Amino acid sequence: MPETLMQPLTELERAYVKFKKDKKTQAELKSLIKDFVGRPTPLYFAQKLSKKLGQIIYLKREDLTHTGAHKINNAAGQALLAKFMGKRRVIAETGAGQHGVATAAAAAKLGLECVVYMGKVDMGRQAPNVLRMKLLGAKVVPVASGSQTLKDAINEALRDWIANVSTTHYLLGSVLGPYPYPAMVRDFQKIIGQEARKQILQAEGRLPDYLVACVGGGSNALGLFHDFLPDKKVQMIGVEAGGLGIKSGKHAARFFGGKLGVLHGTKSYVLQDKFGQILTTHSISAGLDYPSVGPEHSFLRQQKRISYAYITDREALAGLKLLSQQEGIIPALESAHAVAYASKLAKKIFHGKLIIINLSGRGDKDLEAIRDLGVIHG
Amino acid sequence: MDRIGKCFKELRRQKKMAFMPFVVAGDPDYKTSLKIVRELVKNADFLELGFPYSDPLADGPVIQRADMRALASGMNSDRVFRLISKIRVFSDIPITVLAYANLVYRRGVDKFYRDAGRAGIDAVLVPDLPVEESDKFVKAAKKYGIDSIFLVAQTTTKARMKKILKQASGYLYLVSILGVTGIRKDIAPETLGLIRQLKKLSKLPVVVGFGVSNARQIKILRKAKADGVIVGSAIVKVIEKYKRNPSRAIKEFIKGLN
Repeated sequence: MPETLMQPLTELERAYVKFKKDKKTQAELKSLIKDFVGRPTPLYFAQKLSKKLGQIIYLKREDLTHTGAHKINNAAGQALLAKFMGKRRVIAETGAGQHGVATAAAAAKLGLECVVYMGKVDMGRQAPNVLRMKLLGAKVVPVASGSQTLKDAINEALRDWIANVSTTHYLLGSVLGPYPYPAMVRDFQKIIGQEARKQILQAEGRLPDYLVACVGGGSNALGLFHDFLPDKKVQMIGVEAGGLGIKSGKHAARFFGGKLGVLHGTKSYVLQDKFGQILTTHSISAGLDYPSVGPEHSFLRQQKRISYAYITDREALAGLKLLSQQEGIIPALESAHAVAYASKLAKKIFHGKLIIINLSGRGDKDLEAIRDLGVIHG
Repeated sequence: MDRIGKCFKELRRQKKMAFMPFVVAGDPDYKTSLKIVRELVKNADFLELGFPYSDPLADGPVIQRADMRALASGMNSDRVFRLISKIRVFSDIPITVLAYANLVYRRGVDKFYRDAGRAGIDAVLVPDLPVEESDKFVKAAKKYGIDSIFLVAQTTTKARMKKILKQASGYLYLVSILGVTGIRKDIAPETLGLIRQLKKLSKLPVVVGFGVSNARQIKILRKAKADGVIVGSAIVKVIEKYKRNPSRAIKEFIKGLN
């Protein structure tokens, strides 16, 4: 991280410690999470899908939160933190637009000015979310540099933060970036796993055999996995975007094509060339289209606690169709990667295993893109 | 050898402020870049060259575009080192390179500094490397006789300055604005205070950069007793405008700064 941001990051770290201890603010956060975000979200038994795949499959319904994805858990928390720190302006990056929408909503609710940076390519493929952000009062700034996707939006948000650090909080949307962001975002997201653990014990009287979640930066995955980490028998799989396949070079599977590197203030696996230039990524899903991955994922993979797999664009579309037609639930293209992986996994393991899929977001935002791909017939 | 120390000593004797132009190595391409450097060294005391990088997050749009031009022309770290070896054939000017952390990390920290030493580089600035993480880099730099340049910003507290001073050598790079590189009209009043403060804390020369682009700013910095000034984006913009043959325009621009 550039020197200009180092002291502000230290201040953020200190403010966050205070924020966690402040009883009044924590009460406010609790009520925001319950009434504004709409938690707890259901853990839903996917009966038809279970029968079709021969496994017991539950979906953690983050798609049912306000604004339609898990991103709001973190956005609401950090927006409140921004207010607690006396900042009047928040900025955010967004890929799929879900984090942008969540930030815009939280900022509107808490009376903060909001600017969202979004790659031009992503603005095209997630147009409905651009409209939602604008309606919520946010300014959406198109980013035309580099690959015009999430990585470039983060660059631009960081540049804004460098220039406006005294008035502005950078509301980073994933378990990425410089400390304390990876830990802080995970803390705001771990409620997913806390709820799911209780809910599955209540529903099935036992812990799940598998947890499956998609991994872009990795916030929904870490959110679900975190509370299960001490449960050694629970296997966890993070699903990356395989794009057009690893050999094609057009993907975002950092653990399959990346090397250790430094991007956006964190050391993790990065898709890069032999000189260290960051490569452009490809995924059908804007939310997974990022050349690095949260550092805690790299750590947990090294510890062999979480394993990682990838799903191609084509497989993800099949997953999207499968869930839509079996359960009447249209998943986001991101979450469809997790669904597709679970259906692949189901064929490789004994019948009757208990699997929780994190349904991190809903698919309304993707309808236009999906229609253009010719997935919907008739 | 210590070209940097010698050069500052000589400038101090002459009561002159150092002029340090910055360009991206290989912008717009290897050949033209070498030509540009030939022109620059005639009118500069120091030279700062940027390694082109895909994600230069401390830089504004002008230098971002220069990075993209250089990369598109096929520039890479090997070629930057080669370019600098070529410069050494005709010039003994002190050269600082600016390289983002991932470029150094990916090459291997030790190997990067070794190659830098071989190419004739005098100092390395890693703009996204916090002082807390810099031990490995500074150690390698020392091993190959290279100075480690650190940024000091308006947000840098006194405690951080002290940490930085323990690691820095050659000179201190004072970031004159709250923001990324680019062309600005004025010098922030905070910058003048910071020059004084740094001079009290350290004997290292203080060089001011980010946003410096006109003669009036340079005059103010000279009066504030800055030891040097870096002009980047404004020169890079000239290169952008006169892509094929910018030498004359650069000469004119630099003349206008004094």
